[in-house]
Amino acid sequence: MVAALTRRFGDLDIAEDAAAEAFATAVERWPADGVPPNPGAWLTTTANRKAIDRIRRENQRDGKHKEAQMVVDPPDPPAPIGAIDDERLRLVFTCCHPALAMETRVALTLRMVGGLSVPEIARAFLAQESTVGRRITRAKAKIKAARIPYRVPSVEDLPARVSGVLAVVYLVFNEGYLATGPDTDPVRHDLTAEAIRLTRLIRALMPEDGEVAGLLALMLLTEARRTARVSASGELVTLDEQDRGAWDAALVAEGHRLVRERLAAAAAGVAPGRYQILAAINAVHTSAHDVRDTDWSQVVALYDQLVRLDPSPIIALNRAVAVAETDGPEVALAAVDRLEDTLAGYHAYHATRADLLRRLGCSQKSRAAYDKAIELAGNTAETAYLTRRRDQLG
Amino acid sequence: MQYLVSVIDDTAGLATPDEMAAIDAFNDDRLKAEGHWVFAGGLGSPSSATVIDNRGGEAVLTDGPFLESKEYLAGFWIIEAADLDVALKLAAEGSKACNRKVEVRPFL
Repeated sequence: MVAALTRRFGDLDIAEDAAAEAFATAVERWPADGVPPNPGAWLTTTANRKAIDRIRRENQRDGKHKEAQMVVDPPDPPAPIGAIDDERLRLVFTCCHPALAMETRVALTLRMVGGLSVPEIARAFLAQESTVGRRITRAKAKIKAARIPYRVPSVEDLPARVSGVLAVVYLVFNEGYLATGPDTDPVRHDLTAEAIRLTRLIRALMPEDGEVAGLLALMLLTEARRTARVSASGELVTLDEQDRGAWDAALVAEGHRLVRERLAAAAAGVAPGRYQILAAINAVHTSAHDVRDTDWSQVVALYDQLVRLDPSPIIALNRAVAVAETDGPEVALAAVDRLEDTLAGYHAYHATRADLLRRLGCSQKSRAAYDKAIELAGNTAETAYLTRRRDQLG
Repeated sequence: MQYLVSVIDDTAGLATPDEMAAIDAFNDDRLKAEGHWVFAGGLGSPSSATVIDNRGGEAVLTDGPFLESKEYLAGFWIIEAADLDVALKLAAEGSKACNRKVEVRPFL
């Protein structure tokens, strides 16, 4: 078979790889789909296809993708399924396939990769349980019927596919970092660790992608503060009150390294995406040994950059928190109040207002805002924190 | 694995000579040369359709398409593809060639 392939394609490496890949595909498919009527012909056809795919890939790839190509197609054949071809990474790319609707991708990834229950997913995305359940069932049926492939996309498809995956992985991380269930731990390390692990895998596949590096940095700098974020009594500890000595120095260092790498790229003219900017904001926070050393004007400047890229009300809300430090709580409150129409159902909107009103000495209004935030918050540690803050009002 | 690639049209016009040339090139250079070709065809306009219902005692003929809609099926490809990724890539090229929207559906 290798000889025939070599004759056809005039390249021994391609022939050997194609043959090995065809056998690997057979090992994967035959137990599930049954052995084809003519196994020899099936293998030859498959190997031919693999070889054509590879030649096409090699013709199209540019220098930028060379390294990623090395990871996907290790130079030592036969190794069609390397360590990088992690089972879960394949599952992620399948769950995040563009032929599925975005909500479906998120729900499916959280269910299949993150292991969340349907009620947890429904809660995370303010959807009905029955809707989420149906969405997942339909998606599984489509994957099977339309044969959405269970594999990491080819190199030329990776950049387009990866941004969808990052969005989903980031949602998984956030669900872990601020778990929404009343009966779950406030911080679910299993989910944050899983999201970081997946992002590391994607980074190994696409070492030159700035947003992958940005998202990894963002997660590392957030994860570094995890243990300082919930007190012994199970209450959320906000950034300004955290014991900075308890931060994970190794994670902070790794995150800062990645941010510096992206800053260098930005200086060379590569415009940073939203994850890189968010990582930079976190790097400003984690660079301050004391909250009073925080370079807030830098934080505001980064949020300004982010708003231009993504003018969402949640970004505007976070920007207002930084503005409170540079321009005072009154200016910040005016900015927050403008978001009421879109964010009235979001607990963080009310929590932010409550804090600003408290600092402005408006106890009555602050209390009402805390009540609303407590009512909407799903995270147990956050509820405990908000309740204490409310009860401390004069 | 076979997929039906339906060409969805919302204009009255047939394919232009340029579009026909692009479709021919796609059929020959991509589908036939690489073993994806099964069958393809363009259809007459929906107004040329006749609906037949022979579930009762006698076949009932109705003039016109079974579904009146702004968008209609103008033609189709049946392609052979290893999986949906391959099918979608081919369908994207087909959409470009015929200059119309297409829908990809797997055969059972």
